[in-house]
Amino acid sequence: MSGLLGNPKILAILIIAGLVFLISLAGGALGNAFGLGFLSSPLAAIQIPAEPFLPGELFPGFTVMNTMVTAWLSILVLAIISYTATRNISEVPRGMQNLIEVFIEFFLNLAASIAGPERAKRFFPLIMTVFLYVMISNWMGILPGYGTIGWIEPAEELIHHAEEAAAHDGSEGAHPDLEGIELQVFEGDAGFGYLAFGSLKDQITAEEYEHDGGVGEGKSAGLLIPFLRSANTDINTTLAIALVAMFMVHFWGFSALGFMGHMGKFINFKEGPIGFFVGILEAISEVARIISFTFRLFGNIFAGEVLLVAMGFLLPLIGIIPFLGLELFVGVIQGFIFAMLILVFAVMATTKHGGEEHH
Amino acid sequence: MIEGDISSIGAGLAIGLGALGPGLGIGILAAKAMESLGRNPEAAGPIQQNMILAIAFAEAIAIYALVVAVIIKFV
Repeated sequence: MSGLLGNPKILAILIIAGLVFLISLAGGALGNAFGLGFLSSPLAAIQIPAEPFLPGELFPGFTVMNTMVTAWLSILVLAIISYTATRNISEVPRGMQNLIEVFIEFFLNLAASIAGPERAKRFFPLIMTVFLYVMISNWMGILPGYGTIGWIEPAEELIHHAEEAAAHDGSEGAHPDLEGIELQVFEGDAGFGYLAFGSLKDQITAEEYEHDGGVGEGKSAGLLIPFLRSANTDINTTLAIALVAMFMVHFWGFSALGFMGHMGKFINFKEGPIGFFVGILEAISEVARIISFTFRLFGNIFAGEVLLVAMGFLLPLIGIIPFLGLELFVGVIQGFIFAMLILVFAVMATTKHGGEEHH
Repeated sequence: MIEGDISSIGAGLAIGLGALGPGLGIGILAAKAMESLGRNPEAAGPIQQNMILAIAFAEAIAIYALVVAVIIKFV
């Protein structure tokens, strides 16, 4: 240990790392309590439903959500990648085509080892699409700019919503909880902005805003609604993927076993009352699979975003670095698991009922 | 000194108790995987794959608890 500390290089690195940590701690939320907090920005408003991409409706009766925009962006990225890979397709693959072929072949072999070569070719397009889409959109979700740049929902509107909600509750003398609404303060009043370094100090509650009648010249208060938000933090995206996947699983089940063969797994009169109830349990578990697909992906990615936001709040600049690595890992693992589970369920759906052989 | 809603306690309990079972499950899973790796080091590939898949199942339950906690806290 003394040998390590004696080395001036290592000692310098340790001292610099310690200094960076201390500066980050002082600049973060903890330092803000002591009047520092020059690096931190207010905790981004965490809400479960996706927010509108722009204020108001882009098309009449239809709001474009920020998660939809990022879903389109990840589709665009995938399209560009596959275009560059297949533009000059050749017998002996080179460059991008080679890379993608290695990737695809690895997963085709993996699928073949689980489902057998025949069925693997059938299931492969769907599971690879799901894998690539989930992975790319998860990875894009941790790019800088996601969740930090957006338009500002003005303070008046937030207070108005709180008053409406309080009036809706109906209890007499209901007061909107203005103290509980924390407003972020932005430079300029352009209507869009970002969470700047050190803006944590300026944070005020809605009550103070009402009391002071504004935040002064050239500043505006409100909540940041990001333009971009990771596509899988919207439960609608994950539900859509789960529904498509389970629809295809049952489609393959019907086409492999015939209508009666596949339905017989769920509505089963042949094996007496126990078989009948087992069939009903199977049917319930099919529904549970959709729910579990949906919430597994949504929960993982949403929790990851909240984790990054919280770490960026507590330890600005350096706090999120280890968690970015974790999010990269979680992003690919969740895509892999989604795809593998579809494959396993598809194999189960296209295999004959196990019980019949024993009777 | 302590501020805030009583629902925060509920959210904390939901994720705290909900993470207990999956944590134990993942520990058991990893222990068994290591054990079988020690017995049969050549099978590292499939063991690791299946372990990650099974861990994802256990983890999903913690994620459900997390979703409940987030809903209690923010909705």
